Order: sequence, then structure tokens, then C-alpha cells
Amino acid sequence: MMTEKLIHPMIEDYAEYLKDESRSVGEAESISFPQSEEEVRAIMKEVYAKGEKITIQGARTGLAAAAVPHGGHIMNLMKLNKTLSMREDENGKFYVTVEPGTILSQLKKSIESRKFNTTDWSDDAKKTFIRFAQAPEQLLTPDPTESSAAIGGLVACNASGARSYLYGPTRGRVTALRIVLTDGDVIDVKRGETFAKGRELTLTTEGGRTINVQLPTYQLPKTKNASGYYVDDDMDAIDLFIGSDGTLGVITQVELELLPMPATIWGVTCFFTKETEAVKFVDEVRNNITRLASLEFFDGKALALLRKQKAESTAFAQLPVIDPSYDSAVYTEIQCDTDDEAKERLFAIGEAMERCGGSEENTWVARNASERDILYFFRHATPESVNMTIDRRKKIDPIITKLGSDMSVPDKYLAEVIDMYNKTIEEEGLEAVKFGHIGNNHLHVNILPRSGEEYKRGKELFKKWAAKVTEMGGAVSAEHGVGKLKADFLMIMYGEDHIKEMAELKAAFDPKGTIGTGNLFTPIVKGGAF
Amino acid sequence: MKYIVCIKQVPSTNEVRLDPETHAIIRDGRQSVINPFDLYAVELAKRLKEKTGGTLTALSMGIPATERLLREAVSRGADDAVLLTDRAFAGSDTLATSYAISLGVKAVGGADLILCGKMAVDGDTAQIGPELAETLGIHHVTDVCEVLDITEKDITVKKLTEAGTVTLKVSFPAVITVVKDIVQPGLPSIAGVRKSMDAPFTVFTAAEASADTARTGFAGSPTNVVKTFTPEGRTEAVPVAASDAAEFILNAIKEVR
Repeated sequence: MMTEKLIHPMIEDYAEYLKDESRSVGEAESISFPQSEEEVRAIMKEVYAKGEKITIQGARTGLAAAAVPHGGHIMNLMKLNKTLSMREDENGKFYVTVEPGTILSQLKKSIESRKFNTTDWSDDAKKTFIRFAQAPEQLLTPDPTESSAAIGGLVACNASGARSYLYGPTRGRVTALRIVLTDGDVIDVKRGETFAKGRELTLTTEGGRTINVQLPTYQLPKTKNASGYYVDDDMDAIDLFIGSDGTLGVITQVELELLPMPATIWGVTCFFTKETEAVKFVDEVRNNITRLASLEFFDGKALALLRKQKAESTAFAQLPVIDPSYDSAVYTEIQCDTDDEAKERLFAIGEAMERCGGSEENTWVARNASERDILYFFRHATPESVNMTIDRRKKIDPIITKLGSDMSVPDKYLAEVIDMYNKTIEEEGLEAVKFGHIGNNHLHVNILPRSGEEYKRGKELFKKWAAKVTEMGGAVSAEHGVGKLKADFLMIMYGEDHIKEMAELKAAFDPKGTIGTGNLFTPIVKGGAF
Repeated sequence: MKYIVCIKQVPSTNEVRLDPETHAIIRDGRQSVINPFDLYAVELAKRLKEKTGGTLTALSMGIPATERLLREAVSRGADDAVLLTDRAFAGSDTLATSYAISLGVKAVGGADLILCGKMAVDGDTAQIGPELAETLGIHHVTDVCEVLDITEKDITVKKLTEAGTVTLKVSFPAVITVVKDIVQPGLPSIAGVRKSMDAPFTVFTAAEASADTARTGFAGSPTNVVKTFTPEGRTEAVPVAASDAAEFILNAIKEVR
């Protein structure tokens, strides 16, 4: 295949592809937008042979700069965005196969409205589609706050979302992948087909090549985790590629499992006048109430920021009025089969609030989609407000970028880790907002630096937290992935020896160390140090 | 003060899903919701009641399952709810519906102020509010976008028109219909949901509401939909030379009067 027409030199028009939602900016010499797996293979083969770095991109909504190039070539997959097929298993479960540039929100909309372009599908897939269209509503569970993310990106960083509290991260829904390797060969891996023996994994490519992989020896933390390669004894081969941050190959197809939509979904935001009450409430409900899909936290500073945004910006005018007495909030979502069951749980939540010093009056209950949208908007408005604040602060000093933590700890350390955040932020005199997935003890602490000096101190503070969180048995990145911004933390979490093992694993797929360069760690180069 | 807010049950989405084989509409069991415009009326009624004191009754005509939405109105601030439900009401057009609603108003002893949403998102007629007022023989103001003042005797409101707003004062009893964003509806609390489960809920059949069955359901519905279309805009721009402007404006004012 001729690749001249596919690979474009970087010109001003492509400037946006040098950055992502982490707000860091990179550099590159060329860019491509392949539209088929064949094109991906041709480009990969050519660029890799030249020894150029290759950064793989999706919708660039990531927060860890994994899609930000550090020189070389950018392969942007957003034109590889078709839905290819659908199948149903013997239990009536549906699976949909998409290309990596498919946008999550659009896929969800297609699933909801049962509208897919099936023209090029196989007859079997077309028949499945008819059954799918007649079946009860289906749910694609991953729900990162940024719904404009691409499916390839979701898989690459093993994205989570509010509902991961119940459904787990993207990993559990991925049932098959096709991955183009550096030599243009392809691995087709299906869940349940290929397993490691202990920590040794053997893969066979479509071209008939055998790849022997020595899996790293570390144990994964027993918390929500998106830090480094997923490894385990006798693991399923597919899990190695999920969360591999664009460092092993290019994902060209993803098969995702759908689940039946629960009949009743009610959201409720519970407000507290003290943060300690909210934290106590989280422990109370997660121990006593089942099938809550999410437990999301907003601290007093986050609420203050939202009140300010509502007052100042028309874009936030639709936020409901947040009573000035509220100092923190917990959003939770009830999913069950009947309204009666939902009511029972709702009242149990109310009673738990009262036991923790809160009041049932201080709640927002959403019992249909449009009401839930108000609560989702509220959730999304928090990081949006942080970003807007950062953009303003950037004008004070361009060094300032978003400082957002993504660390998780085991349940028993929840109160302790929050205490640590509060104390150290106060000691450093920094401005910060805490929000996120408190059900998994996974808060995003966003520092809002008011100067370049505060930015540097914030960055240092994150390293201290990474060490503390590691001591607690937690993870330095629970959902955003490590990318380039958190590579330092990964070193703190796993130590040099294990990072070396990861680099060796990568070398089995990428001997030159040029794909996704800088993601997770600095890659090992043959004959050199890493 | 006695307030009544009228609500209608509407589908939660206007997206129609078709069976790819039979091309029939798939009823996906999605729950119906309170007509979004009515939520503004509920919120406004709640706030007016908080200001003046009094009671707020949520009223609807519909199938028995409408109880869920009436109770939702209670969780959002109403004190009690009334449902008119009967086979005799089935197939009602706006005339028959407003007649039935008027019976509901009478059955609870009338009200000082009746609030409705501007229109329902499924039918788009915007006729129920005015027809209800006419059936009851009381004042009404449609398209209210702001309440300026309320006393025991009357209410002063701003009404949205094509050209701007008109300020009107109407004495009670009266009906007003409200536009989107007149107030920002809040969300019910857990305490509100709890209250709504125990709140008084009254059902009236056609007979119990003393309905004249010649005026209800199909029998009472003379409407015949021949064609639906979007009316053409009635505003137009007329170029006026600066020298003629004063005279033009003067004439325009005379014409309006």
C-alpha cells in the first residue's frame, strides 16, 4: 500500500493534535488518519521501520497526556470509527464490535435508539441486530465523565466512571481486541481463549509469529487501579492490552459486552453540612445498601466553585441552587427492578444520612432521565469549573496546568487519606478541590495553583501522596491511566525493578521502544539503559 | 389561598423506535413523565404558596397510573392530589379535557389561582389553560414569564408576546399558563418523596365528578384533525426612511390601539 497520501507533515492546521485534555502540549513531525486496519498496518510498518516515535491518539480527552506526542509521528484513529458487527451469545447477551475511533456518547446513543448502519454487516450480524432492536434496552456500562472519549482510548487507559462502583472499569466489558503490532502483523485476542502459564504468556500473531512475554512479577493493588500493565498469574491475554496506554500496539477493533438496562434507575445527591458526616455516610451505605451503582463525592470547595460558576456564567445557570449551608455532597445511584425496591433503598439512604448527622430534607432525588441529567450536569460541571479556573490562572503563569490526582486506597484508609489530603493542602497553603469516586476511595484532588511557585509545590505534594498511598496499598492512578504525566508516580508505586520488568515486557512487542514513547515509563532500548 | 396546578402525563422521549422487521412502533416501557412545562407551574405554585400561605392541589385527568406523577407533584411541593379517571374520559380532545378538568376544580371546591404549563410537549396545542378558564368562566393569562406581585385578591404578571411582554393584573379566581424558565424547578428531596407516599390522593370517576357524558370522551370531542402545519410568522420588517419614521410610528401606535 502506498503510504505517501496517508502520512502528512505536521503543519499549523494540525496544531490541536499536539495536545489533549491534560492541557500539556507536545511536538511531532508527521500525522496520519488511517481509515482502515489495512492503512494502520501500512503506516505502522513504514514509520516503525524508520525508527520514528509513534504516538497513538483517539479523541484526546485523556488527562494523563498519553496522546500527547513527544516527537515523531502521530497516528490519530478518529477516522477509524465504524460499528462493524454485533453478536448474541447463548445466554441472550449482546456484544458489539466497534473501531477504536468510535465516540462513546455516539455509541451509547446508537445502543439506546437502536440505530446502527448495518449495510456492511454480515448476514448473521444483521439478524442479531434485529433481535437486539426487539430486545429490552441494553446498557454499555463504562461512563467516564468525558463522554466524548473514543472507545480505543477507553480501552487503552481502562477507563472508569461513576458507575464503576457497581460495574467495574472498562476491562470487564472488553471481550475481544484486534491489535496491529509494530511490524504490521496483527494479534486477534478473545477473552477466555489465551491464558498465561504463571507469569509466562505466549501469543501467536495472524502472520504466524510467536511472541513470548515474561510478565512482570509485581502484585496489583487490591483497589481500583489503572497504573501500569495488568498482570496476574495465569491471566487472560486480553487483559495485558487493556490499560496498556498505547505502548504495545494499535487497537483496531474492540468487542464490548452489553448488559440489560435496569428497569429503575434513581439518582440522589445527599448534602451534608460537614465533610466528616459525608465520609461517615459513605461507609454506612456501602456496608449496608446493595446495588448502588455509584458513590460520588464533592467537597465544600467544589460546591463553592459551582455556586460561583452558576452566578457568573450562563452556561452553568441550569445548575440547581446549592444551599449555602451545604459543605459536601455524595451522589449515589440506585439501580433495581421495581419502583418499590427503589423506594426502599431511597429511604434506607435517607435513614443512613440521619444516622450520620445529615437530613433527608437536604437531598435531590432524580427519578427519570431528564432529572438525572441535571445531576450528571452537576457532576460534570465540577471538573469543567476546575478547567476554566486553570485556564484563567494559566494567564498568570503559563507553567500552570491542571494538577489532578487519581489515587485510590483500600476501604479502611478512606478517612485517613482524606485527612492526609486536607492537612497537607492546608500546610502548604494551597487551594484545592476534592471530588470523585469516594465509593472506591478514589478522589480526584485538583490543586488550583495561583502562581508558578504553587504549581511546583503542588506537583511535589502529589509525589508525597503517591508514596503515602502506595504505603496504604493503593494505586497512583485508579482510572486516568499513567500516561506521561504520572510516570514518576508509577516508579514510586512499583520501584525500579518492576518498572524494568515492564520495559522488558514492552520490548517483546516494541523492540525499538518507539510506540507510545514516554507513556508509563521511559522505554528500554536494546543495549542501553531504560 | 387555594392553588391548583394541572399536570399532564407525557412520554419521556419523543424518539420513536421502530421494529426493523415489522416497522411497528416499539413501546419500550419507558416511564412517562410530568409534562416539562407543567414542572415550571408546579415550582411556581409551590413558591407562591410559600409566600402567601394556603394549599396546593395537583390535578390531572388520565389513566390510573397517573397517580405516580401526581405523587411526584406532591414530592415537589403540592399538598394533595386529585385524579379524574374513567373510561368515559378516554379519547378526549382539548374541549372535553378542559371540561373534565373544570369538574375536578369544582369537585375540590374551586381555587383562587389555577396554574398550567404553557402547553404539553406531546400535543403542543396550548389550549387547555384558556379553555379551562372559559369553561369555568374566569379570567386567564397565557404565556406568563414572570410574577410581579400577588395579593389575596389578584396577581400581577408579565405575559410573553411575539413583540415583547405585557404586564397584566388579574383578579382571582384566575388561570395562568407559564412558559419555560419562569422559575427553575428544583428536585424533590427524600423527605418530599416520603411525604408524597402518605399524602391524600383522591380519585373521581365521571359520575363522581357529576360529568355530563355528552361532553366527555369521544362524545364530547368535536375536534377533527384535518391537517397539521406550522403557522407562518406574523412579524415582518418594513423599511422606513428616516424622514418618514415619526409618522410611521404614530400610525403604527394608532393601529395597535
